[in-house]
Amino acid sequence: MAEIWNGLVEAFRLIFTFDPEVMSIAGLSLEIALSSVVIGSIIALPLASLIHFNNFRGKHILVSVIQTFYSIPTVTVGLLVFVLFSHSGPLGGLDLLFTPTVMVIGQVILVMPILLGMTISALSGVDRNIIDTARSMGANSWQTMLVVLKEARFAVIAAVVLAFGRAISEVGLAMMVGGNIRGFTRVLTTAISLETSKGDWELSMALGIILIFIALVINIIMNRIQQRR
Amino acid sequence: MKKILGILLVVVLVVGLLPLVAGCSSDTVDPLAAKVRLKVGTTTSLYDTGLWSYLEPKFEEMYDCEVDILSLGSGAAFEYAKKGDIDVLTIHSKADELKFIADGYGIERVPFAFNYFLIVGPESDPAGIKDMSPADALKKLMETGAGTFVSRGDNSGTHSKEKAIWAEAGYDYATQVVGAGDWYVEAGGGMGATLTMANEKNAYTLTDMGTYVSYKSKLNLVPIVNSGSILLNVYSVIVVNPDTIKTLKHADLAQKMVEFLTSPEIQELIGKYGVDAYGIQLFTPCAGNEPTQ
Amino acid sequence: MAFIELKNLGQKRDGRHILSGVNLSVERGESVALIGPTGAGKTTLLRLLDMLDKPATGKILIDGVNVTSSEKERLATRRRMAFVLQKPVVFNLSVYENVAYGLKWRGLDRHQIREKVNHILETVELTKYSKRNARTLSGGEMQRVAIARAIATSPEVLLLDEPSANLDPVSSAKIEDLISKIIRENAITVIMATHDMAQGQRLAHKICVLVNGEIVQTGNAQQIFELPKNREVAEFVGMENILDGVVATNKSGLAVIKVGGKEIETVTKFGAGKEVSLCIRPEDVTVALARLSSSARNRLAGTISWVAFNGPLCRLEIDCGFPLIALVTKRSAVEMKLKRGVKVYGIIKVVSIHVIERQD
Ligand SMILES: Nc1ncnc2c1ncn2[C@@H]1O[C@H](COP(=O)(O)OP(=O)(O)OP(=O)(O)O)[C@@H](O)[C@H]1O
Ligand SMILES: [Mg+2]
Repeated sequence: MAEIWNGLVEAFRLIFTFDPEVMSIAGLSLEIALSSVVIGSIIALPLASLIHFNNFRGKHILVSVIQTFYSIPTVTVGLLVFVLFSHSGPLGGLDLLFTPTVMVIGQVILVMPILLGMTISALSGVDRNIIDTARSMGANSWQTMLVVLKEARFAVIAAVVLAFGRAISEVGLAMMVGGNIRGFTRVLTTAISLETSKGDWELSMALGIILIFIALVINIIMNRIQQRR
Repeated sequence: MKKILGILLVVVLVVGLLPLVAGCSSDTVDPLAAKVRLKVGTTTSLYDTGLWSYLEPKFEEMYDCEVDILSLGSGAAFEYAKKGDIDVLTIHSKADELKFIADGYGIERVPFAFNYFLIVGPESDPAGIKDMSPADALKKLMETGAGTFVSRGDNSGTHSKEKAIWAEAGYDYATQVVGAGDWYVEAGGGMGATLTMANEKNAYTLTDMGTYVSYKSKLNLVPIVNSGSILLNVYSVIVVNPDTIKTLKHADLAQKMVEFLTSPEIQELIGKYGVDAYGIQLFTPCAGNEPTQ
Repeated sequence: MAFIELKNLGQKRDGRHILSGVNLSVERGESVALIGPTGAGKTTLLRLLDMLDKPATGKILIDGVNVTSSEKERLATRRRMAFVLQKPVVFNLSVYENVAYGLKWRGLDRHQIREKVNHILETVELTKYSKRNARTLSGGEMQRVAIARAIATSPEVLLLDEPSANLDPVSSAKIEDLISKIIRENAITVIMATHDMAQGQRLAHKICVLVNGEIVQTGNAQQIFELPKNREVAEFVGMENILDGVVATNKSGLAVIKVGGKEIETVTKFGAGKEVSLCIRPEDVTVALARLSSSARNRLAGTISWVAFNGPLCRLEIDCGFPLIALVTKRSAVEMKLKRGVKVYGIIKVVSIHVIERQD
């Protein structure tokens, strides 16, 4: 018990003295997760709109497949990305394995189903009359799409926030393709995993507290969004 | 509220896109990101003792590059190397190393330091194996089933050593040891993690001296078996062969790593490493020579 | 050449014709009411006019140009019109932004937009709600936003789909005032759907009665009211007495028609043996206690089967072999002591009877 208490005290000390190692790890975590979600959203939002606004054969199947992949295991994505970007793999020439870039690529893949699926259902939640209203007001198809996205914005933001939560809290992918290299690819989750295995609880706890804090902020934002709807 | 949300969105976008922008310009502008990155695959024991964190900045400074240390079991390290994802290996699994070189993946095996393995366990020594020979100790564990043994189980150098001891004790590892009973636990993690687990379980485990000493303060485990020539633990450095693995780009720098580790100054640092902190020598430098005893 | 011309316009859904053979021409500045019972196809027709859907058959000409062909042309045409949908939805944005959207899409600059939107908001008396989220408005206020949104773009054609349905009488009257003001001030062409005959009469020059996806009658309000073309129109315009009968004789237009054992004289072109329906407005039925001698040829004896007072009027049903509804003033009803069981005569002038052909 004393050990846990000491660990906590030390953890808070590390946080409030802005320990450079702790800060750089937390910073990198945020940066990687944010990049993944921003890039993911830039791809997913138009793609989801495209899927939603077009009727084609197999649309339902596609949507259910996307939804099935909401909880795709991070290690599965890790394996896929590893195989692709290993030097013996098809994209090995890019020399990206064990870099933050490849972690972002992996996380983009990881959060893509959530972003796509939840955006599609957000768009489906928009009253059909909104589309007719926009068109009758002279919107072309592109403008109509934007208006519907805007109409669904709270649900879309919720999807983005959820995706961010998944990206920042995953460990398997970051460990596998990032390699947990200190000062380069070490993020909160992989650091916690390593430090705990080393029995270095203080650092683990400090990082864990930061992660919980981030999760808390995400939750608050989510609740705010939910209330606004 | 709406404004805040808007501002938040902009901030998220900017922060999110920053690395992208930085990434694009890195080749030309950012001097940090433009540096060569040498990937070193190391056995966990050299990492968990903190030796690599200690040496890494010295090499980086000397050759103006970035060293990425990937802490892996030796088994994984060999596999990553064969796929061309690693430039240099620092490991301790002689038989595997020789095969790796024979298969053409490595250029040369250069031993640079050594220490000893030891079997640690709870002070109470439930199996009564204290000060036996390593083979006899494992044999007794197997026969009595008294006491738990945590194995690395990850094809690392330490794991290979454990298998060698089992062989000496007269057991076939794959058929007789794996799954022998609840007392035999395969951890599947690094040396530090395995020690932590053994500590939690009040179990025996085979560990290298360096990791054990650097973890000692957090553990209730004491040395149980620590003599026998089979316990010799040699660390060597191997440059992955660029003739076999054509995608390797930093073979020259990798060669510099061998020179670095065997250089007199660094050898001295390795010999002194941890002495102040733990009061005991963790590694004995051996500058390119195979230690015999 | 008319401004808008519909030629044999038809629509099909789930293999069913929901609109067929619609021919209609609308002049510039004219306002037309589409009236008809629910499911008649009013919304369907308006959607075709606004180019929201593609017709199954026929075409729409504007100034003689077929505009139903290319998507580009459809968008351009749509931008000349405005459509207030039956179920008004507002964007989950401020009232101001709701009204500004149509202008933004047409590429106006911020300054022009601000000026225009503020002016329109004043017209519809929503200036004070400019910053409020439109979703928080009441039904009537939302409808005003929808109308403001529509007229903000200065359309040549305004399409309205039951603009005052689902509103209380006061809000409904307000919306109606607003629409008539818009029509007056902008000389705009209006095509509106309504199932309120009186509203159509108040707001439109021309009324089209739509039943089962077909235009059954077009004309001004009086023509529709007094000379409904068939039983459906008659029922729809509130004709309460529709009596089925057969022409017994017809002597150069003056015919005798047998209805429920009684004979009724009227003027019609239909010959003997023809199955017809007689349409008689209740206010055209005079009630008398005695068989008065008057110029009216039809005196139908019967017994009052029910009486209902309604403000200054009294509505009663006379059972004369068939039910006949009459409308008298309350005063005369009291004077004559009209109540259930009283024997009376229903007197109907020949010219008050409108004869229509009976369909099956
Ligand atoms: N998309 C559709 N699919 C199938 N049937 C449809 C569709 N749209 C309209 N209909 C049918 O076409 C008929 C005409 O519908 P429409 O909405 O035009 O009627 P309306 O005259 O506007 O009625 P209301 O006064 O109730 O609004 C109805 O029977 C309706 O069910
Ligand atoms: Mg309708």
